[in-house]
Amino acid sequence: MSLLHTAIQTAVIQAAEHAADQAETVHEAVSHPPELPNFVHMLHEIFPGSSLFRFLWQIQDIIFILIIIGVITLFFRSASRNISMVPKRLQALAEMILEGLLDIVCGILGEKEGRRYFPFLGSLFIFIICMNWFGLIPFMKSPSSNILVTASLAICVFCYVQYTAVKRLGVKGFVFHLMGEPKDLIGWLMTPLFLPLHVLEELIKPLSLACRLYGNVYGEDVLLGVGMVLGIAAVAAFIPGTIIGFPLHFPFVLLAILLSAIQALVFTLLATVYISMVLPHEHHEEEE
Amino acid sequence: MQLDAQAAYHIGIGLAAIGSGVGLGMAVSRAMEAMGRQPEAAGRIQTGMIIGAAFIEALTIYALISSFIRG
Repeated sequence: MSLLHTAIQTAVIQAAEHAADQAETVHEAVSHPPELPNFVHMLHEIFPGSSLFRFLWQIQDIIFILIIIGVITLFFRSASRNISMVPKRLQALAEMILEGLLDIVCGILGEKEGRRYFPFLGSLFIFIICMNWFGLIPFMKSPSSNILVTASLAICVFCYVQYTAVKRLGVKGFVFHLMGEPKDLIGWLMTPLFLPLHVLEELIKPLSLACRLYGNVYGEDVLLGVGMVLGIAAVAAFIPGTIIGFPLHFPFVLLAILLSAIQALVFTLLATVYISMVLPHEHHEEEE
Repeated sequence: MQLDAQAAYHIGIGLAAIGSGVGLGMAVSRAMEAMGRQPEAAGRIQTGMIIGAAFIEALTIYALISSFIRG
């Protein structure tokens, strides 16, 4: 956990330094990877003196998360307003999304447990996929390209998995699970070796979840930004001072749509697998 | 020829990408083979493959993140 903390701290310090650099010098293309502009950052650039826009720029991820939450809430509320046996268009779409997700989750956890943990896992998937895709809308930004956002999601998963483990296995069973569930004498003798390893593993899980999502989404955004800068540079070589570029980043947009969906799916699947690992075994095998 | 730290990070990402590329290729080719042999189990195999692929490609992503953070 302290590693994550250090990483986050370093990232924050780095970001602050970058911001300071940006304010001082224009020559920042080498140190700071290009990103697509979003409307909060653009407002800050247009009104550099305004402290309100500067503050909004500093909390830009929160603004975009609130917008996304609003969009999701609006969509599902209007989809579930007039529920009927023969679904209307919106309801059919929402049912299609949720049933597809439920099938995947139930394929790992089993029918009964899958339905039990689906509310958490399903909302995780829908929230993450909306965050990842939001960066592809012009003048918007993916909040998940900030490690603080993905780390908080990963910490949510970590807390939920540990809570589930203690609730389903009991405190004794939880410690037994952490000891690697020894069955014979050799297993018990290996306990001092396995216990720290398993505790470490539990702590590394959220770290890897956070870094995977952040790295993928941020890398994607930088790729799009680089493609756009190259496109503008290609046109500017013939027409100096142009602001219209050749859409060199377009193939990467298609790639980004696919990869964003896969990363959201991977995050959800891994959370599902972590939950399935802490469930009591006999229940799990019965249902398979 | 002298390399600066930034170039070293880029080369490191390339090396990490080679490793996960080979690993991903092996994992996915085996999964495809298994799906070809047992099309009825394709869904389960695919789920396992995606999870494994996520673990493999995470290694390249870690290299990428370390270059974002330090570079």
